[in-house]
Amino acid sequence: MVTRIIQLLLSPLIALAVGVLFLGLSRKIIARIHRRYGPPLYQPVIDVIRMMSQRSISHGSLFELGVVLALAGSLVTVLFIPLGGTVICRQNPLAHGVLCPLSSSGGLLVVMYLMLFGPLGLALGAGDSANPNASIGVSRKLLLALAYEVPFLLVILAVMSHYRTISITEIVARQQESGWGVLSVPLSAVAAFLILPAMLGIRPFDLVSAPQEIASGPLAEYGGSYLALLAVQKGVHLFVVIALYVDLFLGGGVNLATFLVKMLVVFVAAEMIAAVLPRIRIESAVRFCWKWPTALALLQMAITVLSKSV
Amino acid sequence: MVSPILLIAVPLGLAFITPLLGLARKGAPRYVPAVAMLFNLLVSVSLLPDALRAPIVVRTAGWAPPFSIHLVAGPLGLLLSSLIALIGLLVAVYGMDYIREGATTRYHVLSILILVGATGVVLTGDVFNLFVFFEILCISSYALVAYWGDSASVEAGAKYLIQGAIGSSFVLIGIGLLYGAFGALSMADIAANVSSVSSFRLFVSLAFLITGFGVEAAVFPLNAWLPDAHSSAPSSISAILSGIAIKAGIYAVARVVYTIYGAQSILPFVALLSVATLLIGEMCAFSQNDIKRLLAYSSIGQMGLIVFGLAMASATGVSAALFVVISHALAKALLFLASGYMILRTGSREVSSLNGMGTRMPLTSLCFTVGAFSLVGLPPFVGFASKFMIVRAALETADTFFVVLLAIALIGTVIEGAYFLRIVQGLYFKPAPQQAREETRKEPPLSALVPVGVLAALIVAVGLYPGLVERALGAAANDLLDRDSYVQNVMGD
Amino acid sequence: MGAGAILTVALAGAGLSYPLGLLSAKVRNVFATAVSALLVCLVAAAYGRSGEHVYYSGFLGLDLILRTDALAWFFAITVSLVGCLSVVFSLRYVRGREKVSFYYFALLLVNAAMLGIVFSGDLLSFFIFWEVMSWAAYLLISYNRGRALYAGLKYIVMSIIGSCAMLVGLLSLYAAHDTLVISELAERIGSRGTGFLLGVLVAFSIGFGIKSAMVPLHTWLPDAHSEAPSPFSAVLSGILIKMGIYGFVLVMYALVGLKLLLGLRGAWVSFNSVLCWLGAIGILIPTFIAVLQTDAKRLLAWSSIGQIGYIILGMGFATSLGLTGALFHTFNHAVFKALLFLAVGAVEYRTGGVRDLNELGGLIKRMPVTFACALVGGLGLIGVPLTSGFVSKWLIYKTLIAEGHPFLALAALVGTWGAILYVYKLLHNMFLGQLPEKYAHLEAAPFTMRLPLVVCGSIIILFGILPGIPLGAVGPIVGSLGLEPVQATLTGFGPQVGPLNMVSIFAAAALAVLAVLLVLRASAAPRRVAQEDSYAAGSPVPAGRYHHTVRFYDPLEGATIGYLRDWADEFYTRVAGGARGGFDGLRRIYTGDVRNYVMYIVCLLAFLIFVQMVWHIW
Repeated sequence: MVTRIIQLLLSPLIALAVGVLFLGLSRKIIARIHRRYGPPLYQPVIDVIRMMSQRSISHGSLFELGVVLALAGSLVTVLFIPLGGTVICRQNPLAHGVLCPLSSSGGLLVVMYLMLFGPLGLALGAGDSANPNASIGVSRKLLLALAYEVPFLLVILAVMSHYRTISITEIVARQQESGWGVLSVPLSAVAAFLILPAMLGIRPFDLVSAPQEIASGPLAEYGGSYLALLAVQKGVHLFVVIALYVDLFLGGGVNLATFLVKMLVVFVAAEMIAAVLPRIRIESAVRFCWKWPTALALLQMAITVLSKSV
Repeated sequence: MVSPILLIAVPLGLAFITPLLGLARKGAPRYVPAVAMLFNLLVSVSLLPDALRAPIVVRTAGWAPPFSIHLVAGPLGLLLSSLIALIGLLVAVYGMDYIREGATTRYHVLSILILVGATGVVLTGDVFNLFVFFEILCISSYALVAYWGDSASVEAGAKYLIQGAIGSSFVLIGIGLLYGAFGALSMADIAANVSSVSSFRLFVSLAFLITGFGVEAAVFPLNAWLPDAHSSAPSSISAILSGIAIKAGIYAVARVVYTIYGAQSILPFVALLSVATLLIGEMCAFSQNDIKRLLAYSSIGQMGLIVFGLAMASATGVSAALFVVISHALAKALLFLASGYMILRTGSREVSSLNGMGTRMPLTSLCFTVGAFSLVGLPPFVGFASKFMIVRAALETADTFFVVLLAIALIGTVIEGAYFLRIVQGLYFKPAPQQAREETRKEPPLSALVPVGVLAALIVAVGLYPGLVERALGAAANDLLDRDSYVQNVMGD
Repeated sequence: MGAGAILTVALAGAGLSYPLGLLSAKVRNVFATAVSALLVCLVAAAYGRSGEHVYYSGFLGLDLILRTDALAWFFAITVSLVGCLSVVFSLRYVRGREKVSFYYFALLLVNAAMLGIVFSGDLLSFFIFWEVMSWAAYLLISYNRGRALYAGLKYIVMSIIGSCAMLVGLLSLYAAHDTLVISELAERIGSRGTGFLLGVLVAFSIGFGIKSAMVPLHTWLPDAHSEAPSPFSAVLSGILIKMGIYGFVLVMYALVGLKLLLGLRGAWVSFNSVLCWLGAIGILIPTFIAVLQTDAKRLLAWSSIGQIGYIILGMGFATSLGLTGALFHTFNHAVFKALLFLAVGAVEYRTGGVRDLNELGGLIKRMPVTFACALVGGLGLIGVPLTSGFVSKWLIYKTLIAEGHPFLALAALVGTWGAILYVYKLLHNMFLGQLPEKYAHLEAAPFTMRLPLVVCGSIIILFGILPGIPLGAVGPIVGSLGLEPVQATLTGFGPQVGPLNMVSIFAAAALAVLAVLLVLRASAAPRRVAQEDSYAAGSPVPAGRYHHTVRFYDPLEGATIGYLRDWADEFYTRVAGGARGGFDGLRRIYTGDVRNYVMYIVCLLAFLIFVQMVWHIW
């Protein structure tokens, strides 16, 4: 019980810390690629603290609640994702040191749904302001979500079909026994990597909150503490997506440290590719997502289904 | 016990003294049809229980069949004569106020004669009298179709006359051939001997009779007179024509095919014709703009359904068909009567002129809706029970041929649903035509409202309790199908 | 209280509401509300009962039977609940309109007929109540006049086609087994071979498919649901189309039974798999058509078709998990779709009939309760955790994955993401963003309109957190249909099913929200500003309308609008048009020239004789 409570508190904190650090890392990597020095790694932390002390405007209760919903949703999602540890007893992964406080509830399907809260909360909050830029941003956001969800769902379904389970801990355990997902469902891993930037909202898919075109879109009206919370939410979301990738394809982690190292590798790789690309239009983003990643994921799923049915 | 012969004699007598009554008192003739039909209804219904046990055979002038003129008041005959009397009574009440212009006395005489003719057709036991009563029915209806005397109704009457006359002469030829072959006119007698003579000549007589009676029965392709005639006649007469007259034709065809010839083997062919009749009737009704023509075409469709049931040659099929006869008679009479005053009110027979009637004549519209729902076959109205029985009978034959035909027939009912329910929408949910917007609510006189209401009540009552007629239906179906006992009953021992 | 008493109350209530309305509108309103509330109580009191009794013997030689069991009860409570809410909502909605007494009569009659359907113990009473429901619904759909007439006619024509198919199906069963009593049929059904059984099932499926708007038989629904009065749209979408689902469950599982049903397969396809694929298509295409709609009710109507796809998909898998999910989703969809239609109805009522999504906006400021409830309904529709929709969808997804059908699961999941798009579009375009000047002083929805909304919203949340309550009622159904009931706990499922504990998710979410709120509390309080006070990159906020609503998902709409046509509807319309032309052509055989007619008569005679000469038919 005590371990469980500790875990319940611990994993969101890890997500917060790592997520925000990753944001800083992202800026650093881009700066280095641009041959700049870049801000320090802890710059986002400073920003958050500064913004927390500033006063925001508000357009209504939903405007405020949306932010709460987004951040809380992302934090809750973390509780369902194993963050390293060896699975020994599948019935009760918790007892053997897997850092995943709510692994026993609903599995991957719940994670997929919980990941909705972030965009949905932001969309509802931003919608409550009468700023058309925010609406346009939300429209893009939801479209982009639809665009990457198609290949992402295919990927997840292929993985779930391959392992015949919807439980993430089970998937991780199977990988630790018999090789990583990147080897057993390679095309899915590639497809998921291709849509990673879209899921993270980084270049070339940063069209949702493009500052130059639509005044940062959904964020246009937000300031002060709300903007700070949204920045944190972005970090946590980043953490969730990368962690999920590691769990699904890279066998999770034997312990927290290896898990974080794997995450770092994935993130840096994604960021390096993304950094050299320009922002694309929403139509192009949709077209991209529904072309290569979808084709690869579909192929993998067909292979999985056929190999399972034979 | 009263004799079934009174069913013919009394109304006939009343018909002939009607003009005299008219001389005595100007308003008197209009009550005569109602009195006659009330008498017939009471007598028929009181005789029905006896007839269900054994047919009542009445011999005139003391001669025994096959030589006498005789009436056979079996379950079928009395069931139909009750129906005729019922519809006749309601139409007669309706006609009291509805018929104001023209030769009203003659109208009342002729309307009794139609009903007497129909009663005679269903009760007679020999072919020649069948022809005679049939002619009484037809000739009075020719005259009544042209009752309004405008060019359209005269033209319709003339067309009807021409086709009807051809039909009648075919019937006469058929009877002549039969007489030549058997030397007898009693249906039972011919039926008893028909198997002894099986020749092409006999078939020719059958073909003449089917075609001849088929004209009145409105079977495709013999029904071209019907839309004109039914739509041009006064609405009360349309109700009789659609509700009763064509049923008499059907009865005659059925008697000829089943009882006289026992020609079950031609029934598949008849079934084909019936489905063609049904489909064509419904299709023609579908985009009809004239409400009375629409109702007339719909009658053709329902005739198809009746013949379809008859053609199954099973007890369930025939009783289903007879049930449709009843449900259609009630519903179609109701629709014609209800639309009669609506047309009178708007002065137009356009379907669109009925729009918004729901607020102007609410009770009439309600009854119209009940009739329309019943015809479409929606529960809890009687049309549902009859449609249900037809479908059940068709599926119980377990014959692919009938199942396929049933599927086609059901398409017909879908079309029927489409146009009737469009009218119902018009009654309640479409705005009234511009000139009628200001009109206030005004129902037709009580003499119209009562028959319409009674019909609607009957539709609901029989729909909820089909047991009311079910027993008679079974016996009537047996009457038609069981040739041997028919022969035995009539010829005596 | 048995089924007989419930039906008597329901039918008498419908019948009396009209004459009472002629006396006094107030009495009628109170009476209608009381009857529908009484029905909920009566049905609720009948929980757990089972039994059959003959209530009419000898209707056309058959006995009509009422029966109560778990399946019937589950649907009956859904029907009476949504029916009651829609009556309460109607109190204000139809006040002052024409034919109000008729409206209540038809509304109560539809509800009574639906109760009759679910309590029927034989197929004949099932069919009779089915037809009564159909025509009463047709009258109500036509109530709004104008375009509603077309919708009503389309509905009733399709409905008659469906009922003809059903009639053939049920009477084939009668012809083969000589009974229409469901329990007796279930014992005798296997004796006639699979071909016969398949034919009967297909006939029933046409009837049920049309009523439940299964693709490709759905085409009446978008018109009918959008044109009907809103409280009745809630009934239509909430429960009337579920009668088709009830029929499917009844015929497939209670009548034919699991063993025979699973035997209906060829080399590649089985009856169930066809149903599943139709369900999947029914999720995908209608969902994205819904995204394109600009009429709020049309959007919801298309969404209903999509959600029916989920139910059919879950039901098509003859597994306990799938069936549990489908039945639970049936209830959930009834509640949240009723809620959404009523919410749109409330907006329509206050704005004077506006439901064009491009003309509204910002109504959250004027109708906050309506918005909050609509939001809950929308989240339930999407299936967000902590709403009841999540649990039922979770069960359906799990079935699809466990049975090894990832492609069907893909359709279901993509459909959910499509649902996010249209739900957000609906909420955003109506309630969020700029409040137009003309609605600046709109009143909140009246109490009798808010009450049903709040009730539905509470049910969604309550059953989302404690799904064990409704699943407790679903379990016996699944058990009675010959499947192992799903082991549900109050809060979700145990490890046998694949663990799910909604309360722990709820607790975690509540803690997270609390934590974030605490952080916010510590920071500076925000300053409320007017809607015009927003960031416009330095330039003044334009006067007039600037709410971003038109072509909200522009790139998607542009790319898909060409493909997302209602092919089925176009096909039927073309067939109907062609038939109409054909009918007109056919009418020409009645030329009006009596010489032709005489020719017909003579031709028939000649033909008869000719046939005899050649084929000797007699």
